[in-house]
Amino acid sequence: MFSEDTKDQDKDLLKRWEEKYSKFYKEKKFEAATASGIPVKPVYTPSDIEHIDYDEIGVPGEYPYTRGIYPLQYQFQPWVNQMSLGYGLPEQTRERMEMLKDAGMKGYFGAQSYNLPHDLVSKTGLDPDSPEARGLVGRGGVNISTIEDLDRIFHDLPLDKTQIVQNIGSATMAGLALYIVYAERRGFPRETLGGNSMNWLYKAPFVDYAMFLPKSAFKLMAEFIKFCSKNMPRWNTTNIAGYFIEEAGGNAIQEAAFTMATSIAITEECIKAGLHPDEFLPRFSFQFAQGNDFLEEIAKIRAIRKMWAKINKERFGCEKPKSMQLRMHIHTSGCSLMAQQPLVNIIRAAFHTLGAVLSGTNALHTSAYDEALGLPTEESATLALRTQHLVLHETHIPNVSDPLAGSYYLEWLTDKIEKEANKLIEKIDGMGYIKAWETGWFKAELANSAYKWRESMDKGDRVVVGVNKYVSEEEQKVPVFKLDPKIEQTAVERVKEFRAKRDNAKTKSALDGLREVAKKVNKDWPDGGDLMPAIIEAAKADATLGEMQGVLKEVFGWGYAC
Amino acid sequence: MATTDRKIRVLLTKSRIDGHDRGVRYVATRLREAGMEVIFTRYRDPDDIINSALQEDVDVIGLSFSVGGYLIISSDVMKLVRKNGMDKILVIVGGIIPEDDIPELLEMGVSRTFGPGSYGDDIVEYITAHVN
Repeated sequence: MFSEDTKDQDKDLLKRWEEKYSKFYKEKKFEAATASGIPVKPVYTPSDIEHIDYDEIGVPGEYPYTRGIYPLQYQFQPWVNQMSLGYGLPEQTRERMEMLKDAGMKGYFGAQSYNLPHDLVSKTGLDPDSPEARGLVGRGGVNISTIEDLDRIFHDLPLDKTQIVQNIGSATMAGLALYIVYAERRGFPRETLGGNSMNWLYKAPFVDYAMFLPKSAFKLMAEFIKFCSKNMPRWNTTNIAGYFIEEAGGNAIQEAAFTMATSIAITEECIKAGLHPDEFLPRFSFQFAQGNDFLEEIAKIRAIRKMWAKINKERFGCEKPKSMQLRMHIHTSGCSLMAQQPLVNIIRAAFHTLGAVLSGTNALHTSAYDEALGLPTEESATLALRTQHLVLHETHIPNVSDPLAGSYYLEWLTDKIEKEANKLIEKIDGMGYIKAWETGWFKAELANSAYKWRESMDKGDRVVVGVNKYVSEEEQKVPVFKLDPKIEQTAVERVKEFRAKRDNAKTKSALDGLREVAKKVNKDWPDGGDLMPAIIEAAKADATLGEMQGVLKEVFGWGYAC
Repeated sequence: MATTDRKIRVLLTKSRIDGHDRGVRYVATRLREAGMEVIFTRYRDPDDIINSALQEDVDVIGLSFSVGGYLIISSDVMKLVRKNGMDKILVIVGGIIPEDDIPELLEMGVSRTFGPGSYGDDIVEYITAHVN
């Protein structure tokens, strides 16, 4: 990448640098590493990146998209303010949607975008009256179990002009079936609906969730992708999330490797189902964390963009550029936020937000400062959104795409993370993804990183401001969000009333029909027919989320594989 | 400390529908390192917790919460602890527990809460000093 003259000059200058260094610091050696453990030097020069082909960096909008998937990044179209915002009952979530919209939360091209995490109950595919739901209804997201619940959120919204992120965990299929039936009743055909499902049936290798057993999970993810690819051109089918990998303890290399390995495994399953990668990869999206090691996190995102492009082109023979352009949401790190001196988290999240923008994310959630204490309050959620507004309007950063490109250190680190992550991917290839899941290999790797992270803090090797250094005796009191405990009872009563007034014979017959189709799909995969239409039929017959997911659990197997 | 050589037995448990296990797994490792016998489970409902505690004959029940539900579940657990005459058992609660709710938890019989950032050493020390 450099002329011979520049290389010679670099050698001479480095020599002078070393002389000065030894004059000031004698034998004292500087030793440091990135958060993922990559050793770093105190200074980087052209000789550190001369091995990198210029093609690997290139310009924004060109393969391998290291510098971004569009020729321009934020100049005309800022990132989507994709604040994660659900809680409680549907109408409470709607209030929060309105509050953030009024506070200036914006989507792409005038469409409003709502990122709706569901509570743990809906994410598991349970109705609120299930014994497992006790104490958890409306916690960590909105509770949805029926079409009526959807109406409580969306009753007056133009669904063809609204983007929703239906973050409903393992209940992906039942969740979307409810939304399709609801939308079509309101006159919005499925092909007009925009947004995305997470399709997070691959979450259990990394996080401690009960889930469809591994082989079934892959069948179901592919079935879902197959249906959407053929029926919902505007719907993003699958979200590959590094965020919860990072939250479970993963470092930058693990986040890159495990997300890419997951994308590979799902792609292979879809090919088995008879799909061509160019048919469905353009509708994959991603979600990553932005944590504390500022430059490593930016390098991670740049490396991941290029890794995905190369994997899809070289491994899967993709030809469409859209199959190689990785679209992402960044969620600023939640596990980096501390309960001690919570106001300090505002500054942490601001650095994470800045890092996400310098990484060239397409959509962004900024965590609220009180997340180590509870769900965000209106005040803290608004402040988090303002952090994004500040970066957008006051820093001048969005004027230039990928403004850190060409930094010797950043380019070296981007290349290094790609190489290290590729070594891990090779390891997973050798083991097989399902085996790595079933043996608990992924979880063990993450637990090991999480333990080291915690130990380094406890021993004081890693300073955490306000926790193990600059500790204050005086407690910083901030208001904590309280969820009205009565909402659980309301949700339980609503679902019971819903079941009491519907035509139960019709519902039962649709659920029986679903069971038969599911058995055949499971047994004769991938030639056993289509599953999603039968789930939609059940939703049309007023089956609840928990009932539809219940049938799938029964047929496809449910539990802990590791 | 107990007068016998019996290791302190601790049940650490979290809801099976909550994936947040980073904190509770860290605590499990630290307690094991301190020589305690740790049983880790994911409960379906409060009865599950009590059944495991009785079966495993534990000295301590540690309940882990990340997104809430601690008041309801802890209250259920304390009622069952009393109903089953488990007077000597120590119930501790860890995770995201706002300060304001701690008095209510202590009132219902929880011995102590450990919030985010708590040190492993403090938890070990507390359990060692209070199990008898």
